[in-house]
Amino acid sequence: MAVRTTPPRTLLSSGELLRNLVAKELKVRYKGSALGFLWSLVTPLLLTGVFTVVFATFLRIPLGEGNFATFFLSGYLVWQFFSNSVNSAVGAIVGNGALIKKVWFPREVLPLSLVLSQGVHFGLALLATSPLFIWQRGVHLEAIPAILLGFLLLTAFTAGVAMVFAGLNVGFRDLQELTQVIFLAWFYLTPVIYPLYTVRESGAQWAVPFVLANPVTWFVELFHAALYGTPVAVGPNPPPHWPDATTWLVCSAWAVAALAVGTVLFRRWARTFAKEV
Amino acid sequence: MAGEADPRWAVQVDGLWERFRIAGDRPPTLKERLFTFRRAEYRQFEALKGVSLRIRHGESVALIGHNGSGKSTLLKCIAGILPADEGSVRVDGRLATLLELGAGFHPDLTGRENVYLNGAILGLTRREVDGSFAAIVDFAGVGEFIDTPVRNYSSGMYVRLGFAIAVHVDPDVLLVDEVLSVGDAAFQERSLARMRGFVERGKTVVLVSHDLGAVRALCRRTVVLDHGRLVFDGPTDDAIEAYEELVAGGAPPPEPEPDPVGPARTGDGGARIVDARLLPAVDGARPSGTTAQLVVSFTAEEAVREAGSLSLGIAVRRPDMALYVYETRTAWRGIYLAPPRPGATAAVTFTLDLAVLTGEYLVDLLLVNASTGVIHDRWQEALGFTVTSPEHDFGVAALDARIGVANPDGFWPAELHAPPPERGGPREHPLREDRPSPGHEPDVPRVDPALAR
Ligand SMILES: Nc1ncnc2c1ncn2[C@@H]1O[C@H](COP(=O)(O)OP(=O)(O)OP(=O)(O)O)[C@@H](O)[C@H]1O
Ligand SMILES: [Mg+2]
Repeated sequence: MAVRTTPPRTLLSSGELLRNLVAKELKVRYKGSALGFLWSLVTPLLLTGVFTVVFATFLRIPLGEGNFATFFLSGYLVWQFFSNSVNSAVGAIVGNGALIKKVWFPREVLPLSLVLSQGVHFGLALLATSPLFIWQRGVHLEAIPAILLGFLLLTAFTAGVAMVFAGLNVGFRDLQELTQVIFLAWFYLTPVIYPLYTVRESGAQWAVPFVLANPVTWFVELFHAALYGTPVAVGPNPPPHWPDATTWLVCSAWAVAALAVGTVLFRRWARTFAKEV
Repeated sequence: MAGEADPRWAVQVDGLWERFRIAGDRPPTLKERLFTFRRAEYRQFEALKGVSLRIRHGESVALIGHNGSGKSTLLKCIAGILPADEGSVRVDGRLATLLELGAGFHPDLTGRENVYLNGAILGLTRREVDGSFAAIVDFAGVGEFIDTPVRNYSSGMYVRLGFAIAVHVDPDVLLVDEVLSVGDAAFQERSLARMRGFVERGKTVVLVSHDLGAVRALCRRTVVLDHGRLVFDGPTDDAIEAYEELVAGGAPPPEPEPDPVGPARTGDGGARIVDARLLPAVDGARPSGTTAQLVVSFTAEEAVREAGSLSLGIAVRRPDMALYVYETRTAWRGIYLAPPRPGATAAVTFTLDLAVLTGEYLVDLLLVNASTGVIHDRWQEALGFTVTSPEHDFGVAALDARIGVANPDGFWPAELHAPPPERGGPREHPLREDRPSPGHEPDVPRVDPALAR
């Protein structure tokens, strides 16, 4: 019989729990609602409509012969996944105080289950909007592995950030409110409603480093490439393609760094969660 | 961190301290935090103050104590929910906690969905839940409501389902906090039976309860906590008595029987003890088996010089056992003392072999007229001393057993613990459970190599 000094269950052996929690998130969300999953498409589609009118028609973001709606949607789905994940995970520990005080389990599963359930939404939303992409941007099977791999990196990055926010919020409860404000600003720092090249070609060269230092920019660019293609100012926009090496490299680096730092910090903080929640 | 992991113990808690930070009166506002970096003010609160506890495999132990004494905190430390601030906690075997029933239930999910979710939280695999699902539903008695969202459950049904899941985890070590009193009478009966089943199947159970009836029914051994300290560890009946005294008096730990002879000094004063000391002077305890000299000096008045000889007596007591350990007088040894001249002091030295075991000892002194028996000075508790002996013996007299074992099967290997009775193990714990000082069981059997063949 083994002698244990620490609680015996690790994250690896908690796959079962993680699966159950993700299932719970999804079930609870869609229980008793007639439209079910379609609700999670309402926001992106509505915003796509609004922004298409405002930016493509009134403000005339130059996209040549491209299509603003699919351009916007390909970036916004990434942003929505990231933002919804972190905004829900930030309260994951504090909100589950009763459970944390009563039962031992690896605390990581709380933020991770929220990220994964948002991942399911992301996948479903991509499937649901795929006819639009195919109609506007054509069928590009070679982009599918890039979408899958990009999604893996995006999930790892988001999970790391979500763990940091969830852990910090235990000692600093204002973070929950602050996060919404931060993400509002962060959204405009991310090339979702404007193509990245417009920043480079604008008069505001000083802004370029800021936008490039934003990790979400790179993930958005990855999905722009794989789902939309290359936005250009004049002429036809090149169709979806395999993202370039720099994008892969930067995204991988951010994913690994965020996941590693997030896990280490979260584990350290998690020891005393039961005392502080 | 003290102590090696030892598989003989199901639960091993050593010198455990648990501290909480309690926020001060006025938490800093965001503005203060950002601009003046005023940190939140905290007060330290010690919920557990150096608790040590060892629980054997298959033992069931109750924790009792007043509200806020630290019972739940201790249980959470054993469960690994709270980290030890100081000291160590070790658990051997699969552990399950019944701390709050239905923690983690989601009101919108059905009973069935919640059984799987809660099972996963408690560490069960899907297959394990599948295996006991029927038993869980049956035990909870929720019947056809199992596919109804639990928000529609009565609060009794809710906790019954929670209890049913938790007891089907089939742990080696079960920690129970205050949950036997949920549900209606019939359910309480069944929960108690279930717990008894655990105990009988040789599982280790730690039970926190204010229900002293349940404590009596389930646990032979009980630990009393008081303001974060372990103040009693022994047979349940004695523990409950100690606890009730504690509650009644609000007084500190169960002092042993009050000493029948109170501290006092009486006598006609014709002769007087002026000083008594035990040499060599030591700080703290004297080792058992060493010698010490009790030096008593006295004076006498002129009148006494006419009245005959004096006799000086000493008596050594163990107040915690209400026991006179030893008594002698000079007259009993044929030594009659002439009263000293006024102004002069006489001294008598008693050389004593401290052939006694660990404990606190008190010394009474008596100065009498050897022929008339008139008491000149009786000084109760003139002094006291402490003795320590090796921890493997208990009592007063250092009889120092050497143990010889004649057994063709030799010794039970130290790395194994004895099997349960039904598989040929010992019927009773080899050590007394009612030792007054817990946590001092010997770590190795004391065997005299010369006698062990
Ligand atoms: N998270 C916490 N933060 C601050 N103080 C705490 C915390 N948890 C417990 N305490 C304090 O520790 C002390 C011991 O609490 P605990 O819950 O262990 O008591 P208990 O013996 O179980 O009492 P009861 O019989 O009421 O259940 C209490 O004074 C409580 O206020
Ligand atoms: Mg309690």
